[in-house]
This record gives sequence, C-alpha cells and structure tokens, in this order.
Amino acid sequence: MNSRCFATRHAWFALFAFLVAAPAGAHFQLIYTPEPALKVGGPLQMLLVFTHPFEAGHTMDMAMPAEFYVVSQRGKEARPQRTDLKKHLQEIQWTSLTNVGRAYEAQLPKGIVRSLGDYVFVLVPTPYYEGSEEKFIQQFTKMVLNVGGLPGNWADPVGLPAEIVPLNKPYANWVGGVFSGVVLADGKPAPHAELEIGYVNHEPNLSQRRFEPQARASAPQDSFVNLSIRTNDRGEFTIGLPKAGWWGICALGVGPQSQYQGKPLSQDAVLWVKATDMQ
Amino acid sequence: MKRWGCPAVLAAFCLLAAEMAAAHSPVFDCFNGEDGQITCEGGFSDGTSATGVRVRVLDANEKVLLEGKIDADGRFTFKKPPVDFHLIFDAGAGHTVTLFGADIS
Repeated sequence: MNSRCFATRHAWFALFAFLVAAPAGAHFQLIYTPEPALKVGGPLQMLLVFTHPFEAGHTMDMAMPAEFYVVSQRGKEARPQRTDLKKHLQEIQWTSLTNVGRAYEAQLPKGIVRSLGDYVFVLVPTPYYEGSEEKFIQQFTKMVLNVGGLPGNWADPVGLPAEIVPLNKPYANWVGGVFSGVVLADGKPAPHAELEIGYVNHEPNLSQRRFEPQARASAPQDSFVNLSIRTNDRGEFTIGLPKAGWWGICALGVGPQSQYQGKPLSQDAVLWVKATDMQ
Repeated sequence: MKRWGCPAVLAAFCLLAAEMAAAHSPVFDCFNGEDGQITCEGGFSDGTSATGVRVRVLDANEKVLLEGKIDADGRFTFKKPPVDFHLIFDAGAGHTVTLFGADIS
C-alpha cells in the first residue's frame, strides 16, 4: 500500500482527527510590541507569551527561552550586528481570558533600538511539552522592527532550523494588502508546508499584563479562528491582511529535529506581520 | 520630424528611468550621544548608503558652524554647538533633509 492510497482510505479518519485536533493546535509564540515601524528609536517594552491569540485563550507556561536576541542592520550595505537580549528578560504572569500563564517581558534600554535601520528580533524557546498531544512544541519566532524608514536586513534569514523569511517588509503593510514569504526548513525552501495564520484579536495590555477582553473580530466558524494554507512548490506563500493589527504566520513542524526527551517534537517557524490602516 | 520620434521616446524613457532611480528618499536622524557629542545617521529609504553625503551644521543666521560627510559606517558625529543650530543633510536637489537641534533627543 503506498502512502497516497493509505491517505485516501483514511481520509475520513484524517478529517475527523483534524477536527478533533484543531482546537489544540494554533499555539502561537508572540514577540509583541505595539508598533514595529518607529519614527525614532528609544526604550522598548516587549512581551514574549505563548498563547492562542485569536481567542486570547489558554496561555502556556513558558520556560526561560534558550535564546533571545536581535540582529540589526542600518542600510543594505552595512554589516548585521547581533545583540543578546536574554539578560533583559523578566518572568511575569500573563492573564488570558481563561487562565494565567508564565510569560516573559523585556524592558530594553534606549541604546539597543536607537539607530536607524531594521531590527530582527529572534526567540528560540525551550521546547514546551503539550500534554494533550503528548509532544513538544518549539516555535522559532521572529518579529521585525524598523527605525526611521532606513531598511537593512529584514529580508535576510538569520539561520534558524525553522524560519520564515519575509518577501515584504513585515513592519510596513497596508490593510487590504498581501504579504508573502518563504518557509525555510534547515535553510532550504519547504514546499507544501502547512501554515496556520493567526490574528492578535485581543489587544495585549502590557502594563496590566493581560489581554483586553474585547475582541476585534469574531470567527463565523472554527476554520476562521486560524486560517490554514500551504506553501507552494518553492516554499512560498501569500496571505491577505484584511484587518489592522498583528498577524502571525506559523509553519508547522518544518524544523529538522523531530524528537526531544524521548517524545515527538514539532519545530515550528513563526513570523509576525503588522497591518496598518491607510488613513 | 518623424526621425526624431524614436529619440524622443528614448529621452522620455531616460527621464522616466532617472525619475525611477531617484524614487528613494533621504533618511536622516540624529541623537545625543555621550560627552556632548551628537551622532547623526543617514541613508536612503531603499537601503542604499549615504557615505560621502555632505552634512552642514548652521546657526540661526544660516552661518555654517561646521560641516562634514557621512562616513563609511553611515554616521556623522560632531560636538554639540553652544548655540541654536540646525543641520542640513544634502544629497542633492530634492534630497535634502533639515533637522533642528531642538528636535534631537
């Protein structure tokens, strides 16, 4: 029996399994700051939370991240500069609409995001054990910020095992536009990779460390909570940006490592994109 | 007249091409550094370098207090003048940015 035949014969079962599994999926690792396109640099507050952003639902307890750093570059011809940010992380309790989970915040002093240019923030979390799925999840997450409109390294991969490389500036998108990127698995384009698209539907309130209860949008059916698409045969994808705010793109299980501490591991890649109303 | 048609189209194309090549805009900002120094950074919105672009520091009477060029690192650093001043980042016609000392943080 070849795998295609197997897949066909078990299509109904697979569909059923997907429907059952769907609510447990859609975890998104956030690197959040209110505005990624800054006119001038300065001190910056960032939030790292592992949650279900559309529903502001169950927030998972994060462990201290393995890595948190920024790769900045002023102009296309300049050299990228990597700055470790782990020392700025502080453990916090983050309140979702359904629970309280362990998250991290970073108060970055003004010297870090001051120069003109791009800042690619990178988070390598410690794998999270998802008991309901009996597997570990590790989402390599990027958020790209810019100061002053001088671009730099926004389109360059940073070299993660699972990574989404943008084809549009992630910090400069109009509502109603489209956003494209390439999913890289161990540095190579990942054809037909499964993507989930999430929306930060509840404003994170950084000072009170909770999601705002009011939702910006409602899903008419569960398929809309997180949209599902696949990359094409070159590992590329395009999404629409129908509403202002932060959109998360997550490529599931594209990283090379599939086991951690004797259990299955899903190495995902996440990229955050902000859409701005044209006014 | 007809034989000029082609060069005219070519000229129009060249003008258009030149216009397109100039579609980037200058980006220039300064901030207060240590020891009374001000560091300025310049570039273009398409990410190209502004190395060699002239920067002038002028007083309220448009008298040039000092001038220099954006260095290979995209920067120009100078000692903060004791008077009101403004800067002009001069990358040619249509590509200048003026920044006032009072707006530098």
